Amino acid sequence: MILYTVPIISQLETVMKHVLNWFHYNAGFTWAWSIVAVTVVVRMLLVPLTIKQIHSMQSLQQHAPQMKEIQKKYKHDKQKQNEELMKFYRENKINPAASCLPMLLQLPVFVALYYTLKNYNFPPGSDLSWLHFIHDISAGTTAQWGGYVLLVVYVVSQMASTLFMAATTDKTQRILFMLMPLVFVFIIARFPAGLVLYWVTTNLWTVGQGLITRRLVQKAPAPTVEKRSSRTPPKDDGSSGNGAQPETPAPQPAPSTSQRPRQVRRKKKRTSRR
Amino acid sequence: MSVVLRLPSKLGIGLVWAYRLTLGALFPTTCKYHPSCSEYAVQALRKHGLVRGSLLAGWRLIRCNPWSHGGFDPVR
Repeated sequence: MILYTVPIISQLETVMKHVLNWFHYNAGFTWAWSIVAVTVVVRMLLVPLTIKQIHSMQSLQQHAPQMKEIQKKYKHDKQKQNEELMKFYRENKINPAASCLPMLLQLPVFVALYYTLKNYNFPPGSDLSWLHFIHDISAGTTAQWGGYVLLVVYVVSQMASTLFMAATTDKTQRILFMLMPLVFVFIIARFPAGLVLYWVTTNLWTVGQGLITRRLVQKAPAPTVEKRSSRTPPKDDGSSGNGAQPETPAPQPAPSTSQRPRQVRRKKKRTSRR
Repeated sequence: MSVVLRLPSKLGIGLVWAYRLTLGALFPTTCKYHPSCSEYAVQALRKHGLVRGSLLAGWRLIRCNPWSHGGFDPVR
């Protein structure tokens, strides 16, 4: 309520009213579906950021073993562990998925929607229900039985989205993030149902995005480890073979580079014998 | 006197905490920097006062985008 005195917020509210009006009157959505549409549009605008996220997830996956080593090394010093991990990111030019700016870009939308739902006088007789179980999106969530259903969906979707979004590999932190919705649900219960609807929509979008991302990341395997393993044995053989040339004349595997000089020698020897 | 001079930055720190406890708590994303953006803001406000501290915090928030690399970035 104190926030309302800030002039930007009332401006945000007017913009949100216009957008909702446009979706309702021009695009023909009900008020509830207009909120869903606004959410979808906002998330669509953030898609370029998601593409960046896919790349960062791929590079994170490739460096996972080294990062686990760092975590083991500084097991007892969380502060130091965080610092070292961040240094590792910078050195290897890894881009962690999470960042504050995209989140902050969603904040004004959320605040605008909150005040719009609180203050907007919807035209009398307008349909404020959603999928037959929410009767009034501008009313408190717990004031209607459908609100409780929506809250359950919120908790589940929020947990699922943190599963995809949380950048930390730290287990205790992850569990903490997973349990957070159970606390938030008490704060959110006082909000208008339309706001929870926004929340559920944006969470479901995150989950869907996460599923697609995960599939894309899995399709691109990390080939570096395999290549190294196939390359290293011949190199070892070659070096040991060079050292033990007089003792063992012909080792069974025939690698390319180390074998060539031998062949030349043999040829020379053969010619001299003949 | 020094207490009076520090009041503006205390106000800023209070605002950061208000954000942390309300809206910040609702968005469970982690920052790619260490210290995190809000922690950085508190430290910057403490060290450089309201004006410079806010500018530093704002600049950090802009840097905390998907194209930056993140990492260890303390207040200087």
